[in-house]
Amino acid sequence: MLRTIAVVSLVIALAGCGRYAVRANEKEHLADPVMSFEADPQEAAADDHVMSNREGAAGGAGTAGGGCGCN
Amino acid sequence: MQLTAAQRARRAAETVAALALALAPAAALADDGIDVNTTWYQEQRQGGQGGLTVIHPQADAAIDVGDHTTLSLGYAADAVTGATATVYAVDAVSTATTFSDLRHQGSLGLGFEGRRARLGLSGAVGVERDYLSLSVGGSASVDLPGKNTTFAVSYGHARDQVCDKSNGELQPLERRALTGADPCAKDYGVLGKDSVDAAMTVLTTWRDLSIDTAEASLTQNLSPNAVLQASLYGQVVEGFQSNPYRRVRVGPNEPQEHVPDTRARVALSVRLNRYLPRAHGAVHVSARAYSDSWGVNAGTVELAYSQYFGRSLLLRVRARAHQQTAATFFKDAFFYETESTAGAYFTGDRELSPVRNAVIGGKLTVLSVAEDDHKVWGLFDRVDVNLKTDVLLLDELPADDEAANLGGRARQFLSSDQFLDAFELQLGLRTAW
Repeated sequence: MLRTIAVVSLVIALAGCGRYAVRANEKEHLADPVMSFEADPQEAAADDHVMSNREGAAGGAGTAGGGCGCN
Repeated sequence: MQLTAAQRARRAAETVAALALALAPAAALADDGIDVNTTWYQEQRQGGQGGLTVIHPQADAAIDVGDHTTLSLGYAADAVTGATATVYAVDAVSTATTFSDLRHQGSLGLGFEGRRARLGLSGAVGVERDYLSLSVGGSASVDLPGKNTTFAVSYGHARDQVCDKSNGELQPLERRALTGADPCAKDYGVLGKDSVDAAMTVLTTWRDLSIDTAEASLTQNLSPNAVLQASLYGQVVEGFQSNPYRRVRVGPNEPQEHVPDTRARVALSVRLNRYLPRAHGAVHVSARAYSDSWGVNAGTVELAYSQYFGRSLLLRVRARAHQQTAATFFKDAFFYETESTAGAYFTGDRELSPVRNAVIGGKLTVLSVAEDDHKVWGLFDRVDVNLKTDVLLLDELPADDEAANLGGRARQFLSSDQFLDAFELQLGLRTAW
């Protein structure tokens, strides 16, 4: 598992971690609300609530944020 | 009383983690706002006692306090009514009875935002008749140079208490289950205390449960139209995790369900959002792998698509599939009855059985944004009205040799045998000013 995590992290880092991977003036689409992970925390919480009562394997679906980094 | 302690523990921990993690982007948006949302969940059940209905209202407010600090307050409730089985057996349906439960939860959070970093702190209190939860959490996130990479971590700790029948030193196969008629006394409304009768015999006691949850995520802009997130999640639950009400027929006995005191979970998820400029829409893909120390292993995949219609309508459709293996000590009811337990533990928890769960749904959002100083409804910079619906399909799989199961599985859970198992309807309002 740890090896998988390390490989995934490395791939992500190499895929586009460069300082100029996406320039500030290219972030129009990344800033769109549909590109945010869990743009609606209440909806995400309610979904987790429902799923945790149907599945024993709850948790760890991902975190909020993402999308832009252009603030 | 229908939910297991573990389910409610997960819910409490998830609430804190979600709240803590939500603080960072909320602070970054720097918008004051109030969000309200109500979820109606309806599940079909066998047994002639009706289905299961959950009404889940939520209200959250965020207010900027100064240039770098956001204060958030939240309230959520659960009103649950419906049918539940009291004994896990080949014919659990005939033991069906009705119940109702009401839970309240309040939360408080503080978010601090710097130029590239954010910090969130949160606390929550949950109260219901037979379950109490006190939890705290914290999160931090930082944008790396270029602001194309965000690294975030969060941690939450919950100290919960579960009302249980006082079973003294009884062995697991002798323990009695809690009933709805048993008292569950509290001090100050949030601290459990033993209930005693006139002869000072302890009737019920509160069992401790601690939950520690940690999560780390890396979010990476891959291109002007694509963003990827990888998350690693871990949780350790220590304490009483059985459903105190549930009995399991083991041979000639019907003792209270008995599961291990320690459960460690780990999950790895990857999500990708891809914007489609020509279509004015976006594709969302996610996958998740899960494993825990009780032997439950699971995989979940989801595919979704968002499409704008003009400037004021957004439609999102999604399909999600989940499959999991059973806990090592779970057996189909027939085998508990005829072969006894698989080791020290026994459970009738459907969530610990092998299941497939599928969700198909859609969400329609009406977007209103202030223009030229004309506020939406004369007050807000932005208002979103959401209507969302999901249909849920459940397929219960055999945990043991199906050919040897002479009692069958059709009535061991109350789950409906119909293709459409449940539906969820959400109505939400999000505002910012």
